[in-house]
Amino acid sequence: MKITLHHAHEARSMRVLWLLEELGLPYELQVYDFFDKSLRSDSYLALHPAGRVPAVEIDGQVMLESGAIVEYLAERCADMGLGRAPQSDERMAYLDLLHYGETLGQHLANLTQAHIVLYEPWMRSPTQMGLETKRLAKVLGRLEQLLSDGRDYLLASGFSAADVAVGYGIWLAPRFVHLDALPHVAAYRARLITRPAFAKALPPEGARRIYTQAFYEVPNV
Amino acid sequence: MTTSKPTLHSIAGSRSFRVLWLLCELGVDVDLVDYQITDGSLQQDGFKALSPARRVPALEIDGITLVESGAMVQYLCETRADHSLMPAVGNEERAEWLQWLHYAETLGTGIQNLNMQHLFLPDPAMRSIPVMGIETKRLAIALKALEARLADGRAYLLASGFSAADVMMGFTVWAAAHYVDFAAFPNLTAYQDRLAARAAYQQAQALEGVQQFYTRDFYALPEV
Repeated sequence: MKITLHHAHEARSMRVLWLLEELGLPYELQVYDFFDKSLRSDSYLALHPAGRVPAVEIDGQVMLESGAIVEYLAERCADMGLGRAPQSDERMAYLDLLHYGETLGQHLANLTQAHIVLYEPWMRSPTQMGLETKRLAKVLGRLEQLLSDGRDYLLASGFSAADVAVGYGIWLAPRFVHLDALPHVAAYRARLITRPAFAKALPPEGARRIYTQAFYEVPNV
Repeated sequence: MTTSKPTLHSIAGSRSFRVLWLLCELGVDVDLVDYQITDGSLQQDGFKALSPARRVPALEIDGITLVESGAMVQYLCETRADHSLMPAVGNEERAEWLQWLHYAETLGTGIQNLNMQHLFLPDPAMRSIPVMGIETKRLAIALKALEARLADGRAYLLASGFSAADVMMGFTVWAAAHYVDFAAFPNLTAYQDRLAARAAYQQAQALEGVQQFYTRDFYALPEV
């Protein structure tokens, strides 16, 4: 497979970068700055009409949507064991958690927009920010429950592409929600971020990042 | 694996419509349990045990509960026979099908955000007009990409014909029309009409009852 990944540091495209590293696939990386207009250039919009990352070219075919790309790569590299095939007992849980990655991701995207992209306080809705934070905590609560039987990863049989889909959000979550009340999630996060493939998906030293504060507090209304 | 009758926990007008519609397309009988957004029924312990984040849909099927509509759609396609709603693993349309399936939820997120601002924040002071503007614009851009896809005259998202990706997207397109004017999207309008004319779509609508979200056909952005 010839793969080119279009990526912005710390954005959802991290999922794809991380998975490519887990799968040991060769790829070419094109990095865009999240804050300048490079994702709005005509050449990028021809690839991704909404100007978002990721876009990935796989043997000349363009794919958008990190969840779809993660599923597809796991299917194409079935022998690496990161997917769960349709006949597997874990198929339902695998699919449910893979999609749950974006249920988690959308709250993080909304909070990122409110705290970071809308830099002027008048542009924000503290009510919305509060609600999104609460919903994020609830979504994490389901994972806390799932992990409380002591499993290392989301599926009892071990690490899978669902951990990549969800793990991106888990890595990001403590910037918006304290994990003190979610000890299993915190331990799971520690386990994910020490994986060598995850470390390779992080921005290099000195690169411009989306997230510069350790914690983003909801403003008082 | 048991294939007893599934139970769908739903709110009329929510993402659960996708699952109900697909069940109708597949001819699978289902027990429907209705909830209301505002009467506290989602907060009851019984529902929390099924869906810990207290969201619909939740589908009890084959001895497990799923909470993601996209996962339900995939699972039903994989386990229920005699249909052509999903290109199999390895099929040349597989990547595209997966992409549209997930893309429907990118649009779904935008709609959910607009629902929150327009429908569920009762006091205008609680809203953020820039957020409403950005979300509306993003939704329009995402719809424009769909319009472009349909411009080659295809009837459905995949060139080979109707699939479960259309079921995921059809709900989204219906909801999006409450926030984005479709006048500039003739292909999308025709696509929406084509979907709504399907017998299974109408059957699902009748089963679901009156949608609980929108009291108007269109919600314009507030004047600044």
